[in-house]
Amino acid sequence: MADAKKKGLSEAERQAYIDRYGLTPAEASYDILIRMIEDMFADGLKTEVEPFPETDREFGQLLDALRELSPDQLRQKLILSGWLLEPYGEEQMRCQECMYYLVHKRWCDLPELDLPAKPDWWCRLWRI
Amino acid sequence: MANLLWLQGGACSGNTMSFLNAEEPSACDLVTDFGINVLWQPSLGLELGDQVKSIIEKCISGEIKLDIFVFEGTVINAPNGTGEWNRFCGRPMKEWVKELAAAADFVVAIGDCATWGGIPATAPNPSDSEGLQFLKREKGGALGADFTAKSGLPVINIPGCPAHPDWVTQILVGVATGRAGDLTLDEFQRPKTFFSSFTQTGCTRNMHFAYKVSTTAFGQRKGCLFYDLGCRGPMTHSPCNRILWNRHSSKTRAGMPCLGCTEPEFPFYDLAPGTVFKTQTVMGVPRDMPEGVDKKGYIKLTAAAKGAAPAWAEEDIFVV
Repeated sequence: MADAKKKGLSEAERQAYIDRYGLTPAEASYDILIRMIEDMFADGLKTEVEPFPETDREFGQLLDALRELSPDQLRQKLILSGWLLEPYGEEQMRCQECMYYLVHKRWCDLPELDLPAKPDWWCRLWRI
Repeated sequence: MANLLWLQGGACSGNTMSFLNAEEPSACDLVTDFGINVLWQPSLGLELGDQVKSIIEKCISGEIKLDIFVFEGTVINAPNGTGEWNRFCGRPMKEWVKELAAAADFVVAIGDCATWGGIPATAPNPSDSEGLQFLKREKGGALGADFTAKSGLPVINIPGCPAHPDWVTQILVGVATGRAGDLTLDEFQRPKTFFSSFTQTGCTRNMHFAYKVSTTAFGQRKGCLFYDLGCRGPMTHSPCNRILWNRHSSKTRAGMPCLGCTEPEFPFYDLAPGTVFKTQTVMGVPRDMPEGVDKKGYIKLTAAAKGAAPAWAEEDIFVV
């Protein structure tokens, strides 16, 4: 029931994924998801890096928004989470030290993201 | 034979319920094996009304020797300092408490409410509640900072919401059998034998704490509850994972974050929305660090631990 309410891809977006990768993000393997993410940034994707969620209420609001998305909405997930393919800030925060990052699986274990990630990437849901 | 009187102020009876579940020793053992004479207890006493009042008055006058006075719940001062919101046997409970505490050899506060005010004393504290000798971290409370019972000891605080039954019965046995001299209390007058270690001591999730793997949602058996779900185990003094609940479990073992209920600040952040079951952070770094750890050290430790974590730490190893 909850999945039925989630926003899905438009037909055009769906077709674009099929044309380029032969499948959509929800069906993609680890390697293809990594490729999809890197390709989006190579194509000029800008994500909402700021504001950093300072309070838990702000953090929770981001999670609420992410929960609305279906696994296929990879692009929106990256935008909302402020995803970057490099460390961020003076302290060079990165996935490697984030609590949600599984270093061996190279995976973001935050249920609302649930995506592959490289150690030197970052997003604004970072926690240590 | 040691005479014990137990009264309740602003209480939910949770500590009485806990006490009645004690096993080592049990509430019955206190009577049959350790010579404790329960003069009256709200859930056990047979006397009613004037009969209870008579017992209390005899304790105060010295006609009945009062060895141990146990208090559960807050001392209520509302309205306007009168304590009229909590009347018992014809007068405000706070007046009985002062007179009984002065008459007793030992005074024992059971549970957060009696120790430092607990949930009722959370802002805005409408019942003007306080503990026997503390209001949250501030020493004083209903009996005053300098109070000592006839034995020379201040109020013995056994906090918790509720206190573990065996903490209660073991301290009562110690006092009743003349071993009070062996008790050492910490700065909040908690027996050090129970409250020097942390809730985290003995936690089955410690390996996940060490390797910095987080539980990210309720129901997961892998991961540490500290990083995301607000667990206060690393900075809460209690033996919850040494003296297990119901002899076989604890909050953290059951997947429930420690709420820090043996500390004076409980409930933390005055229960503001979003502060329960969520680790409070500043720029992604926990606001409350494990005791004795600073931010810089924490970041270094995290980097090293995650770099060294074995693959199995990312799995649910508790296979049924």
